[in-house]
Amino acid sequence: MRLIEGVMYQNNAPKGVDPDSIYFVQVDATKCEACGTCEEVCATGAIQSINEDGIRSVVDPVACMNCGQCLASCPYGAIYEGVSYVDEIFEKLKDPDTIVVSMPAPAVRYGLGECFGAPTGTYVGGKMHTALRQLGFNYIWDNEFTADVTIMEEGTELIQRVQEQGKKDARPLPQFTSCCPGWVKFTETFYPDLMPNLSSCKSPIGMLGPLSKTYGAHETHTEAKKIYTVSIMPCIAKKYEGLRPELADSGFRDTDATINTRELAYMIKTAGINFNSLPDQKPDAVLGDSTGAATIFGTSGGVMEAALRLAYEVLSGKKLSDPNIKVVRTHEGINTADVKVPGFGTVKIAVASGLDNAAKLCDEVRAGKSPYHFIEVMTCPGGCVNGGGQPIDPDVRASLFSSTVAQINKRFRARKVTA
Amino acid sequence: MKMNRRAFIKACGIMTGYAVLGLNITKEAVASSMSFVGLRQTSVYAADANAKIYAIRKSQDNPMIKKIYDKKDGFLHEGPCGHMSHHLLHTHYIDRSAKVAALKDRGVTLNF
Repeated sequence: MRLIEGVMYQNNAPKGVDPDSIYFVQVDATKCEACGTCEEVCATGAIQSINEDGIRSVVDPVACMNCGQCLASCPYGAIYEGVSYVDEIFEKLKDPDTIVVSMPAPAVRYGLGECFGAPTGTYVGGKMHTALRQLGFNYIWDNEFTADVTIMEEGTELIQRVQEQGKKDARPLPQFTSCCPGWVKFTETFYPDLMPNLSSCKSPIGMLGPLSKTYGAHETHTEAKKIYTVSIMPCIAKKYEGLRPELADSGFRDTDATINTRELAYMIKTAGINFNSLPDQKPDAVLGDSTGAATIFGTSGGVMEAALRLAYEVLSGKKLSDPNIKVVRTHEGINTADVKVPGFGTVKIAVASGLDNAAKLCDEVRAGKSPYHFIEVMTCPGGCVNGGGQPIDPDVRASLFSSTVAQINKRFRARKVTA
Repeated sequence: MKMNRRAFIKACGIMTGYAVLGLNITKEAVASSMSFVGLRQTSVYAADANAKIYAIRKSQDNPMIKKIYDKKDGFLHEGPCGHMSHHLLHTHYIDRSAKVAALKDRGVTLNF
């Protein structure tokens, strides 16, 4: 076990195992104060009391969507991560025969700075690229590029689905986004009948892995088998996604390692890089250049807004003069809107933040009562910027008041049990 | 069980205190975490609108996107959802419901 940015990690880099058998997050029973905060924030109920003292544990990995909201909300730092590729990545960075490729997600650049003392939400994208170069990554490719690819693929898929309605073998509407790995596993586990509604597009990281080992290898004249792809995410569930056996379309494992924002900060600190004094640099162009539409993938409603910036222009044939589509921006709960597209009609959309909200929309679809064309779901309230792999909100740990109340709750509950 | 007046009032006091405290704490915790998340969300939209960080705001206008989808010699020249896209960029999903059903058979209660 190792402490990384206030969270304990097990040094474990699994290969070729069934991700359903891994506890990506787990409770350290010796640190658990039985306050029950984790249980309150868990949508599926996977984290439960295991004894009379109210000590919590993840009951079984199949019920856990690996979102890590329990970890991010635990006032005692009692929840740890079960998987870390940090040591393996350090080894690969030193190995001259391995071409290590960086693949950071949009939200990482809005959280990483906090680990180096910057105010909440500070954008540090340029510094992040420089830091990755200094760490020894051979190609600074960026997951935001494939966020743009995702928009092209998923937007086109949506337009196809709308156009094929009424025909034989038409794919159903609404189309659900498929970027969020917690949400994808949730559909597969609790709403498998709605799998045809999920966009068949891989997530942006699911696209960048195979593109790195095919297109990227070709463009840079690199042997694909030497490429080692490192997915850098604000997310714990992405570690599950990286291990999905079906994601090997490049002829190799598409994603070789997955770390999160906290682990990247740890790597930068361990390498002795003075992050705050770094200049801003750009990623390597081929699979690195991106747009504003890509960066908003990091927040709830962002994928929807980015897709609408494409759909509007394709469906109407006109230029969208103001790319701000503020009605879809979502902080919490469910947000619905009718977006008028000239020459086409109305696109009905919904954005759900959090799995309990997503379930309400799923029930509507199941009942055949869903009026929407396109539904975006993010497992973490607020989106990836609030992912389980992001730096922990200092207030969660620092508030003496809330931990005192948690203690009172514990006593209250303990008394109730013994009575 | 019999309860005298003093014990009853004491119990009421404890319960009221707990209810008020519990409610406020939950509210306060949610509000503080949402303001924390809100700051990060605001920063994302500020970067999107900042031409110095993102000069281009639509995916289809990204020159590297135009290059990869170029109809003549782009890597994905058949366009989005073309043959190569389906091979590399699209996937299928796996029904995992049997595993939770087995869990429920063992007596585990879940929310869905």
